[in-house]
Amino acid sequence: MGSITKQGNRRIGSSIGIALCWAASIAVAAVCLFIIGYLVFQGWHAINWHFLSTDPVASLSEESAGGVRTPMVGTAILVLFSIVLILPVAIGAAVYLAEYMDERWWITRIVRIGLETLASVPSVVFGMFGLAVFTLGFFKFLSSSGTEGGSMAFGRSFLVASIVMGVHILPFVIKVAEEAIRSIPKSLRQGALALGMTKWRTIRKVVLPAAAPGIATAVVLGMGLAAGDTAIVWLTLGGTMTMASDAWWKFSNWLPVLRGAGSTLTTFIYFNSPAGDGNSPGAAFGAALVLIVLVLVLNLTAQLLFRRGSKAGS
Amino acid sequence: MPAHAEAAVLAPVPGGPTAIDLKERVRNTASDQFMPYLLGAAAIFSGLVVTLLVFFVVQKAWPVFHAEGLRFITAGGWDTQLEDAWNGSAFFGVRALIAGSVFSTLGALLVSFVLGLGCAIFLAELAPAWLRRPFETIVQLLAGIPSVVFGLVGLMVVVTFIADRMVPGNSGDVVTEIPIGGACLLAAIVVLTFMILPFFVTVATDSLRAVPRSYVDGGLALGMTRWRTIMRIQLPTAAPGLIAGLVLAAARGIGEAIAISMVAGAIAFVPNLAHGPLYMFLEPIRSMASAIVENGGEAMDVPSIAAALFGLATLLLAFSITLSMIARWAFGLFSRRMGVVSDRNL
Amino acid sequence: MSGTRPPVSAIRKGVPVSDTFMTADPHDTFSLLEGMLSSSAPRVRDGVAPAVFEIRALDVSYGSKRVLHDVSLELPEKRITAFIGPSGCGKSTALRCLNRMNDEIPSFHSRGKIMLAGQDIRGKGLDLTALRRAVGMVFQQPNPFPMSVYDNIALAVGEHEGRIARSTLDGIVEQALRQASLWDEVKDGLKGSALALSGGQQQRLCIARALAVKPAVIMLDEPCASLDPISTARIEELLLELSTDYSIVIVTHNMAQAKRISDKVAFFLMGRLVEMGDALQVFEAPARSETAEYISGSFG
Repeated sequence: MGSITKQGNRRIGSSIGIALCWAASIAVAAVCLFIIGYLVFQGWHAINWHFLSTDPVASLSEESAGGVRTPMVGTAILVLFSIVLILPVAIGAAVYLAEYMDERWWITRIVRIGLETLASVPSVVFGMFGLAVFTLGFFKFLSSSGTEGGSMAFGRSFLVASIVMGVHILPFVIKVAEEAIRSIPKSLRQGALALGMTKWRTIRKVVLPAAAPGIATAVVLGMGLAAGDTAIVWLTLGGTMTMASDAWWKFSNWLPVLRGAGSTLTTFIYFNSPAGDGNSPGAAFGAALVLIVLVLVLNLTAQLLFRRGSKAGS
Repeated sequence: MPAHAEAAVLAPVPGGPTAIDLKERVRNTASDQFMPYLLGAAAIFSGLVVTLLVFFVVQKAWPVFHAEGLRFITAGGWDTQLEDAWNGSAFFGVRALIAGSVFSTLGALLVSFVLGLGCAIFLAELAPAWLRRPFETIVQLLAGIPSVVFGLVGLMVVVTFIADRMVPGNSGDVVTEIPIGGACLLAAIVVLTFMILPFFVTVATDSLRAVPRSYVDGGLALGMTRWRTIMRIQLPTAAPGLIAGLVLAAARGIGEAIAISMVAGAIAFVPNLAHGPLYMFLEPIRSMASAIVENGGEAMDVPSIAAALFGLATLLLAFSITLSMIARWAFGLFSRRMGVVSDRNL
Repeated sequence: MSGTRPPVSAIRKGVPVSDTFMTADPHDTFSLLEGMLSSSAPRVRDGVAPAVFEIRALDVSYGSKRVLHDVSLELPEKRITAFIGPSGCGKSTALRCLNRMNDEIPSFHSRGKIMLAGQDIRGKGLDLTALRRAVGMVFQQPNPFPMSVYDNIALAVGEHEGRIARSTLDGIVEQALRQASLWDEVKDGLKGSALALSGGQQQRLCIARALAVKPAVIMLDEPCASLDPISTARIEELLLELSTDYSIVIVTHNMAQAKRISDKVAFFLMGRLVEMGDALQVFEAPARSETAEYISGSFG
């Protein structure tokens, strides 16, 4: 009977389709795991205490190429600074969007479109924006000129890079934080109001503490983004191997360091990969492994926080 | 009628109600008064900072647009022009760069659509419950891998593979303009595919999940197989959401600088179909974004180059803002259809 | 009086019931339920109570939709008043006007007078915080803050009392929990999360929280709607006790509940106050036919 054969064909088509979907998913998972595994495999033998604790040294031979400490410190400085700079603005904006802003106002649409557009801007463009703004004479205080690192024109420094990076991650942090605040049930707010608490007190004492895990997720996600970006750093920080001061841990040196150039794990890898000028792929892989571990830890922390947050709220 | 409330009746009772005095009192409402303004300022600033960005970038790009107009986009020869610029010439044509961005992104979109759709259908419909969370985690991880790592692995694995296995020995005879190695359009497409895939997958999964169950049940009740309900009912209904996902992935792809710079050969060459389909993919390219990052160092000291780079940045801005608007429109279409808003961007 | 069960009729006469009744002895609980299930006559309390709230010609609309028409009533002091009526009749809206919770809704308009202790609460120059302290509210779904039991109460107290000594605060928390007959169950776990309590316990915590700021009036919007019969019985018990010191207004869908505990009843229908009077009179000899129909179950 014709119709049953047709059905049989449909069944086969179904099975093929389902099998293809499985295949695609397995392929994607395999690629992801391969990338991580390959990094571990290649970078593993570069990692030792010497590698992690000495600064890189420019040299032709890979042997005495030093370690990766300066870039690690650079990544830490950049990530922490961008978050610190941006956090008050991001949380403030998220609170306002979630609690005070009415969706019918015209200004709400403008803000939302502005944030969405900001989120879509590629990070290279952010880097160029940084160069456009912070080379203005007005911002001279943000960077020092002529550091020992080489031909660093003024307009590049950790401060500049942190500000630009902060603006880059701002829309994402706002988005996640706003969702976290919105997810607090209305009944909690009503209960607080009925007890005589004012709106701001309700937000400060009831809503924000309840949304804390979600906001923490937003912060960690932002940190992950800041740690992994290369284009902004390359353009606004340069790729020097050294920082303004070797003794970076001394408090008195902090300002010069921040106003000076340096490198992060990302620019280090970019510079030292076979495609860059440094050409010490062993060090690049070691740094890549450190970087990927950092990013994975941040990513998984964010997911854990997110799940803890949604459990506590219910 | 009972007597009107007397103040004495409501006098404080030990352990009981307090006396009621409702006259407005000056409280410490300072924070209540100014907090909304402070927070509002933060929100408005965040929303408007993008205009600052556009202004500064376009302003710095103005010299090159003013001097060349549309020829900036239509003329070619970027690589030589760059060299000449050190000697004072100031003409730039970025046609090859635009071609590089567009070709690599389109290729990546195509593959990522096919693979990503499979993953999205898997996550939304086919995965057993215990597999769902781990696979979602893997997709999130893929999204979190830094672009420089993609570039590094792409360089060591994909480029060497192409160089060893795919480039024919006599390539120098077929393509005479430039040397053919492993770093090429194909490598760019492969690497870019996996970079933009997570963006498409998350949006597509959400879109498929948002399709009301009742539609699917209706199909099943009519005797359709699971697969056909996916193909015939869920996909078409979720289509605007899928489009939005594609557009977001495209925006990510167009803007990628580092990975392309590492694996695509860094030569501003428009892949030439006349050399045959194989060679078209084996030819190196340079994209708008990678050109910026490659020349963003000392080259910025030369004013004409700086202006040209800002010009490229302006083009990238135009692309990404347009794509963002299209995505917004597509999401709007989708939520009107569904009555459900699902705009999770990574 | 341990071990002996006070007569069920004592509840209806408004006689304060001893602590022993609040144990989990199944016999006591059963007799409590028994009392509830058997046909019960409405309460009769002596004396004429002065009015704590006076509502005059209250009109309420949300946008163009009129929700309350010309409502006038007086709420007696230290009695339990029940607002009854079918869904959508406006009783919850009327309740929320009394502590101006409706102000949160953008399309809300109202006209008329609502007097509390001689002051119109709708007028200008009103301290909203003081109003909401004087008029406490308990919601249909228990909504404890996601904090410890102690902090739930301490937060509200801190808002109104400012900085007070820890020992004083401890005392207030304990007293509030005792008044809500929750103390024995949580005294060893004050730092535990409030969300870990059962539904009935959470609702009593919300009542304790409202009591801690020492209101004059307590309003409850269908407080037992999401609770099982045993928890419901305990809360009704509690309200009866509290009515010696506080004025209580309760919105309820449950007419049997209204019969059991209220002194006065206000029947709303389609935004109008149809009838208000002593519980005994409204339930046994209603003046209006609509009231009689609603009570007999013809609609709603």
